[in-house]
Amino acid sequence: MRIKIDYAKCTGCRLCQVACSLQHTGSINPQRSRIRVFVGEDVCLPVIAGPYTEAACNSRGKVVINGLEVDGCVVCRASCPVKSAFREPDTGIPLKCDFCGDPPDPQCVKWCDPGALTLVDA
Amino acid sequence: MFGWKGKILRIDLTTGNRSVEDLSPELCREFVGGRGAGLKILMDEMDPRIDPLGPENKLVFATGPLTGTGVPAGGRFVVVSKSPLSGFIANPCCGGYFGPNLKYAGYDFLILEGKASSPVYLYIRDEQVELRPAEHLWGLWSTATEHALRQELSETLDDWQLNDLSIVCIGPAGENGVRFACIMADGGRAAGRSGLGAVMGSKNLKAIVAGGTGSVEVADVEGYRQAVMGFLDEGRENRVLYARRMYGTWSLPGRANKSGTQATRNFQEGYSKAFEWYEDPNHVRDHIRVRDEACFGCPFACSKRSRIDDPAYPGTTKGPEHESMALLGSNCGFGDLDDICRANYICNELGMDTITAGATISCAMELYESGFLPEEDLGFPMGFGNTEAMFALLHKTAVREAFGAVLAEGGRFVAERYGHPELFMGVKGMGMPAWHPQGIEIIGLQYATNNVGGSHTKATLPFYDGRRDPAEHLKWAKYDQDYIALVDSAILCWIIYHGPLWGEKLQVWLKTVTGIDYANEELALMGERIWNMERLFNLKAGLTKKDDALPKRITDEPRVKGQVVHMDRLLPEYYALRGWDENGVPTPEKLEELGLVMESGDKDDANQD
Repeated sequence: MRIKIDYAKCTGCRLCQVACSLQHTGSINPQRSRIRVFVGEDVCLPVIAGPYTEAACNSRGKVVINGLEVDGCVVCRASCPVKSAFREPDTGIPLKCDFCGDPPDPQCVKWCDPGALTLVDA
Repeated sequence: MFGWKGKILRIDLTTGNRSVEDLSPELCREFVGGRGAGLKILMDEMDPRIDPLGPENKLVFATGPLTGTGVPAGGRFVVVSKSPLSGFIANPCCGGYFGPNLKYAGYDFLILEGKASSPVYLYIRDEQVELRPAEHLWGLWSTATEHALRQELSETLDDWQLNDLSIVCIGPAGENGVRFACIMADGGRAAGRSGLGAVMGSKNLKAIVAGGTGSVEVADVEGYRQAVMGFLDEGRENRVLYARRMYGTWSLPGRANKSGTQATRNFQEGYSKAFEWYEDPNHVRDHIRVRDEACFGCPFACSKRSRIDDPAYPGTTKGPEHESMALLGSNCGFGDLDDICRANYICNELGMDTITAGATISCAMELYESGFLPEEDLGFPMGFGNTEAMFALLHKTAVREAFGAVLAEGGRFVAERYGHPELFMGVKGMGMPAWHPQGIEIIGLQYATNNVGGSHTKATLPFYDGRRDPAEHLKWAKYDQDYIALVDSAILCWIIYHGPLWGEKLQVWLKTVTGIDYANEELALMGERIWNMERLFNLKAGLTKKDDALPKRITDEPRVKGQVVHMDRLLPEYYALRGWDENGVPTPEKLEELGLVMESGDKDDANQD
């Protein structure tokens, strides 16, 4: 299973971040969420936390999403030493999406009203 | 405390002192937050008679217990202060992310007082609170201000940290003390009515940056989660909310126009031929929409970013909403969507309230056409429909250049200056919004009795099933005024939670988030308490019965559907229903019932006609 992201449908409401932090921390803190939404002027980009990587990489090129050129680092799913996202704000411990358990039951998908996030077979 | 962070951040701009105070649980319990608690803070700390543009005025940026929890359509903040436009209480609400971000930084309320000696901006990131120089930002338009600040902050913060910061700022209009200047937020949103941008400008405060890494706790996690799930399910089935998702408020101009209640040519008419095009809201959506832009935690995303094909207006902006379309469009005698978008864009960028700006210019247009406003004062002609004159005047107003300096004082001032105060279509100095009161009489009463002036957001329209009986309109007007006072205190979005839409949900959210199980009667009493306390503020600031009035055009000249608003009958009935005396002053019995006291002297002030 994987979570499919349809950027065109994301409105930037960040309810996915609320749902995720509520599930994993018992309180609401979008910065402790395993999914983060980057809000651009023309498009919103949800990014789901992938594995931790110990070193920063050099792939800082630009990618184009829905006509918007963004820094590759922004949409990179890895938690890494040079990026503030996907790490606990106070301790720096990396965060990674676990699909809310087994079998997968991702809360972000349930809370995503516009349908930007869907759970699909890999 | 669940829901609340329990902290007030206070900044004295004169001395640069910063302090963090504990929020009293009693204040939270009795006034919930937002509009109610912000008002209580002002009432306790400030004399309502002060000069709104002087250093004695305070700005309270207030969140509520629901802010930042992700309660659907609960991401707003409210700014409470004294209005330089009306001279009375001001409490414009605004969406976006600023409210939640202030909460995550750790503060329920931000109180700003005094006046900085030179332009500054306030930077808040968790415990890091700094006043930083802003001379280099002074004069910039609102989007440019935000871009410049983000550029500056990118030296110390990465893209994701910047992404989780919100910026509110003023444009040139606020800097120059335009009495209907807005506080702009998150790229085109506005705490729009009442001119609080001018108050921020009078304090030399250009912008506030807020964000943080804190959490908001809810009392009943499982109950809360289930309530949200249930709400989302209900929301998908709701017909009205479907229209909000698709069109925001763009479905309203056509509807208002069709029913003959669209403010047109300074409220001389209720119908505009050009607005027939708007009857299919897809026309607007297809023409200007870039994307749906949700406030924090809102599944409905009624706000739309828009763009027009004109290189002189680069980038995107928010709106225009229905009220802006009417006041900057039909009420100024034109209907071309691109032109309305241009005017909306200018107002957003310069930081001016689209509604009062429109009402002020339409007033000037009528004065000009009637021959009361000589062309030499303007330097060019400006009859209804003259868009070029309008764009030019909007620009001049924001910098107080030439005739713009007159317009910057607001429509009431303009109309009085040229000897025809009856031609300003507003209440308490604030321009009336889009719905022509002669089409729906009760709306006239709502505008007239609104504590902040001619605003549409403190009561709802009697369009819903169970509310159509005219005999009951007055009852519902009072009910809605009280209920929305609570909605603005919690804070929920008025657009989504007004009137019979989800009325019972407020209680559910407060219970699951704060753990406090308010009874229905208690909530009703709290809303009424806030409304009456605002009234006391206004009375002390000098309000009299004469301020609860509509323009003569609305009460004496049947312009729309051959109807007038019978204020001579409605107002005494309203006062009686409220438990106020014949001068609109709350009776001692009413105040006692609400647990309020009137200081000696208030009543005497109120009766000085």
